[in-house]
Parts: sequence; C-alpha cells; structure tokens
Amino acid sequence: MPERSTCEAVVRQLWPYLDGVVDDSLRERIVAHLEMCAMCQSHFDFANAFLEAVSRSRSDVPADDRLRDRVVQALSAEGFKLSA
Amino acid sequence: MQETFLRAYRHWNTFEPGSDCRRWLSTICRNAFLEHRRREMRSTAVEDQELESLAAARLHNQARASGVDHMFMRLDLGPAISQAIASLEPIFRDVVVLADVEGFTYEEVAEALGVPIGTVRSRLYRARRQLQESLLAYAIDAGFASARGPETPPTPNRQG
Repeated sequence: MPERSTCEAVVRQLWPYLDGVVDDSLRERIVAHLEMCAMCQSHFDFANAFLEAVSRSRSDVPADDRLRDRVVQALSAEGFKLSA
Repeated sequence: MQETFLRAYRHWNTFEPGSDCRRWLSTICRNAFLEHRRREMRSTAVEDQELESLAAARLHNQARASGVDHMFMRLDLGPAISQAIASLEPIFRDVVVLADVEGFTYEEVAEALGVPIGTVRSRLYRARRQLQESLLAYAIDAGFASARGPETPPTPNRQG
C-alpha cells in the first residue's frame, strides 16, 4: 500500500491534474501513483465525473449566452486565440 | 531587517558614494519587504488551492458514506447543477461558467474577467467545492442513495 503522505501529495494536485496544468514530471508521478492506488484513483474519478456533469449541464438549460458572447468578443478583440 | 543588511551588503556596488545612504537602505528594505510579502501571498494561495483539492477527496468520502458515490453519473442531475451554479455568488459563478461549462482555459478566463490566473484558479476551485457540497445535499435529499444502496469503499491496494 502506498504511503499515506504520497496519497496526500497526489490528492493535493487533483484539480490542477484534471485541468491539465501540472508539468510533465509531476503528471507522470501522479499517473504512476493512481495506477497502484485504487483509493486515490476513485477520488480522481469522482472529481472527473463532477467536471463532466457540469460540462454536460450546458445543454440542459440555455446557458448564459450573453456572457459567453461577451467573452468571445472581448477575447477576439484582444487577439486572443480561443480554445473553446 | 537582517534581510535588508544582507541585501545592502550584496548590492554594495549599487550605492553611489555621495548619495543619500539612508534612502538607499530604505529602498532596499522596502524591496525586501515587498518581495517577502509577494512570496508569502503566493505560497498561501498555493496552499489554499491544494486544500481545495483535498476537500474534493473528502467530499467523495462523504458521498460514498451516504451511498451517492455515483451521483455525478446520473443524467437527471443536470437541472440541479444549473440551479446550483445559478445560486453561486457572481464572482464564483462567472469563473465556473466560463471554465467548466463553456470550457475556456484559465488564461482565457483571466483575460476575460481581467483578473490574475491565480485568482481564477482559487475562485474556480472554491466554486467547485461549493457546487459539490450543494449537489451532495441535493442527491441525498432526492433519495439518489436508495436507488443503488450504500457503496462499499474500495479496499486499498496492497500490492504497492
């Protein structure tokens, strides 16, 4: 069983990891840990299911399109390249 | 103070003989203070963000204990999510809508709202916690647990 402190260090990176903003070496260490720790993996799965559910909720109710449009407009005006 | 003299010693060459020594020292002192404060604020922010991640794991444990481990898999949760988002404070709602509903990156959200990326991250993580907490309460009230029965926690892997 992995050390408790490793679990805590990994779980502390849960959101940054799921958002894809951790650097390569940290990501590799997290992946390696998750492969052998079912408990941590289950926390990550739960949080990921949450993010997917929030993302899906966009189609349930008309999203705040005005906000989105304002943002797209503002970003394009600044020459920002859009990912979404 | 110690830091000021250390810096003064290190940057002795920047002192111009004949100029105001006291002023030179106080500039160094102020810079040392500002940098120290910046460093401290940055590490507090990082710590807060990591605590939000730990909170997400704790909330998962609560969901499991309440038998609603699979609550986010349910397709009928959508309206509750929208409602939970709508009842967030505006500064948290804007960030979560842009990042998690609309899929913008941290940088784009920061740019759009005119706030630093660190602020986007801390607001986003806090918004997620608030959403998860209200959705957990909703799932329990809505009786999601009875459909599946309590989950047994996975046994920790002992091969490691």
